[in-house]
This record gives sequence, C-alpha cells and structure tokens, in this order.
Amino acid sequence: MYLVANIDQEICAATSCKLCTQYCPEANTIQYDTELGKDKGFKYGSAYVAVDRCKGCAQCVWVCDNMAKHKAIKMEMIDQIGDQALTENISYHGKTTQAVLASPWKS
Amino acid sequence: MSLDYVKFTPGFGKFMPKEYRDMVEAGPFGKKTTVSQVGTFKEILEEHPMCAGCAMTLFIRLAIIAFPNPEDTITVGTAGCGRLAISQAAIPFVYGNYGDQNGVASGLSRGLRLRFGDRPKDVVVMAGDGGMADIGFAQTLHSWFRKEKFTTIMLDNEVYGNTGGQESGMTNKGQVLKMAPLGKKFEKMDMLGMAKVAGCAYVATVVPNNPRRVESVIKKAVLIAREVGPTYIQAYTSCNIEYAIPTDQVLQDCKDVENDRYKFTEYLTDEAKEHLATLYGYKEYLPKPAAALTKG
Ligand SMILES: Cc1ncc(C[n+]2csc(CCOP(=O)(O)OP(=O)(O)O)c2C)c(N)n1
Ligand code: SF4
Ligand code: SF4
Ligand code: SF4
Repeated sequence: MYLVANIDQEICAATSCKLCTQYCPEANTIQYDTELGKDKGFKYGSAYVAVDRCKGCAQCVWVCDNMAKHKAIKMEMIDQIGDQALTENISYHGKTTQAVLASPWKS
Repeated sequence: MSLDYVKFTPGFGKFMPKEYRDMVEAGPFGKKTTVSQVGTFKEILEEHPMCAGCAMTLFIRLAIIAFPNPEDTITVGTAGCGRLAISQAAIPFVYGNYGDQNGVASGLSRGLRLRFGDRPKDVVVMAGDGGMADIGFAQTLHSWFRKEKFTTIMLDNEVYGNTGGQESGMTNKGQVLKMAPLGKKFEKMDMLGMAKVAGCAYVATVVPNNPRRVESVIKKAVLIAREVGPTYIQAYTSCNIEYAIPTDQVLQDCKDVENDRYKFTEYLTDEAKEHLATLYGYKEYLPKPAAALTKG
C-alpha cells in the first residue's frame, strides 16, 4: 500500500484558499470544486485530490500546514480512505471542476 | 501551428482518450489562463516519470502554465531530468542532443521567423545546469552573443541529477555529492553575469515556491525574446534525491535557499522595458513623467 494526500473538505471549505493547488508538483492533481461542502453549509467549495495522479510527496501538507495554516491535508493509505476522486471521473465546467467520487479499487 | 492543431478531426473526438478531450474542451489554448486558476482548467502538462516531490517538476508545471501563447510555443530540451516532464505536454517539444539545445533553438527560431514573419512563435529552451553550463556552455553563450531571439531557462538543481550525482559547474564550492566525494573544488559559475555580458535583454533568478513570481518572469522573458533579444531565467529547482531532501521539506528548502543565496533578481535592458510597456501594457515600465523625476 502507499500514501496519498487526503483533504478534509470541512476544514478546506471553510476558507478554500486554493494555495496547495499551486504548489503540487503534479499537474491536474489537486483540483477545485466550488460545490463541494455546500451540502454541509460551507460557502466556497473545496480542493480535492485526484488520487490516481498523487505521488505521495506531502508537499501539499507542508503548504496547508505552514503557509495556509489550515491543517486540512493528511497523508493516508490509499486503501483506507474510501471513495476518492479519480481522473476518469472529473469533469470541467468553466471556473470549477466536478468529481464523482468512487473507489480507487474497482473490481 | 495554430489553435487548430489541438482540435480533433470531425468525428474522431469520441475515440480519443479522456485527457485529450479535456485538453481540447477545457485546456488553456487560446485563453489567458493564469496560475491562480489552477485546479479548474485542464493543464497542458500530463503525467510523467519525474520523482515524487521534485521541485523541478513544480517549476516546469508553473512555467508551462505561464507561457503567454501556449498554442504558439515550442519547447526545446536535452538529456537530463526535465525532459521527462517537458516532453509529456501538449505542445511540440524538440529534443536536442546533450548540450545542443541552444543551437537547435537558434535554427528553430530563425526558421519560424522566416516562415511566419511577425506572427509570434515562441521558442523556449529548458535544460539542466549540466546541459547548459557544462556540456552546452559554448552553444548557450554563442546563441546569446548572436542575439538569438528565444528564451533560455536553466533548471538549476546544482548537480547532474539524471545520472546519479556528479558535480556540475553550477554546484556550490565544497559540496559533497555521491560522485564528488571530496567536495567540489571550484566556485559556482556566474551564468547570470555571463548572460548580461553576452547581451541578454532579460535575466532573472527565481525559485518555484513563489508561483506568481515564476509566472511573471516566464511571461516577461518570452515576450521580450519575441522582438528584443535573448532572455535567460535561472531557476533553483532542487534535486531531492541527490541532496537527500525529504519531499515534505522541498518547499522549506526552496525558501531557505532563496533567503540564503538564490534571492529574486531581475535585470532588463531599457529596450526590453520599453518593449513591455508599449507593446504589452506593462505600466511599471512606462517612462516616468518629468514631474515625478524632478521630485525624486
Ligand atoms: C553527449 C552525452 N553525454 C552524456 C550523456 C549522459 N547524460 C544524460 S543526462 C546527463 C546529466 C544531466 O544533468 P543536468 O544537465 O544537470 O540535468 P539534471 O538531470 O540534473 O536535471 C548526462 C551526463 C548524454 N545523454 N549525452
Ligand atoms: S491549502 Fe488547505 S485550506 Fe487551502 S485549498 Fe488547500 S487544502 Fe484547502
Ligand atoms: S502529496 Fe504531492 S503529489 Fe500528492 S497531492 Fe500532495 S503535493 Fe500533489
Ligand atoms: S533525480 Fe532529482 S532532479 Fe531528477 S527527477 Fe529525481 S528529484 Fe528531480
């Protein structure tokens, strides 16, 4: 098993500073969805990780902890984090993207 | 080369991979996309085999986002880690022999000018410090002395990363590396000074932990190279493997090195300033009004 970044939407959606997205070395890996978290009453949407592209470097954790000071990202084992965003389920809609979450372990 | 080259032949779209369809529908081609919009559009750079957490990867990602006209840009690279990512982007990439990159780019940019006249076609070289300051040193310097109009970007990880840790001319004095066990005996080469002596119109140093700044220097360098002359960016892009930097400390290292010996510097000739002000609306380079001058 291996570690990938997992963003706590409730913490992220409270501010959605969009910092980590600019510092991830991998393209199209930390994406942004303006609707995520709205069902829980948060206004701004949240960042999420396309786990099939994440290389597990934890730079985003450093950025969220030290620059954004929000501590919304943790490295977790990919088989322990439930449904996640995958590149094949992400669609683009102008100023936002949308991810349909699914298991990284499809049969 | 035009916006059409990214589009599908009618009827073929549905057979294309998702990433390619996203690129055509939601990519940055023909739009003014910025670094602050990342995470909402499909980037030109795709998956690639560079190491996890490599600062060079981050820099390349940001640089490609910053190209002013990605649909009219050709990148040139050479052996070394960077080409592993640069070649995986939806813009044409020319792979020169090791060290040939500035020679190849000279011919390419001249040829594009002959073929397309004044329509801007941007040539951007991105290569490692070994490829540029050691093996390709003569070609790099000569392209500058000849005033070839393209952008040269050094991905300076201060080591030969791709071949396992030999010292380069850009390694710091005293640095011990796997294949420099006694420590380097000579100073780091002053490529910035040489770029100015050789006549570059724009010279900048930058580190990737300031994405907006990376965006700003790339845009200026590419725009100035269109009409004024050669431009040079030297980017600190640490090798976390050869310098044993834990990946979650790569950005801290960028910050430390920036504060220590890789401070942001930017040099523009007067001609370059005037060019940016008059052609591309850079207000900060407009000539100061006479009143303001006398006050100072
Ligand atoms: C003519 C030639 N000599 C040697 C090599 C082997 N080679 C491949 S990459 C490389 C070093 C790359 O170092 P650098 O240019 O600093 O880039 P980095 O990998 O550090 O980004 C060398 C020596 C080659 N490909 N071609
Ligand atoms: S840095 Fe943290 S709070 Fe900011 S967008 Fe990323 S995960 Fe959300
Ligand atoms: S762990 Fe690294 S690759 Fe994965 S999302 Fe974070 S910064 Fe990107
Ligand atoms: S060897 Fe070094 S420079 Fe090359 S990809 Fe790995 S970390 Fe980056």
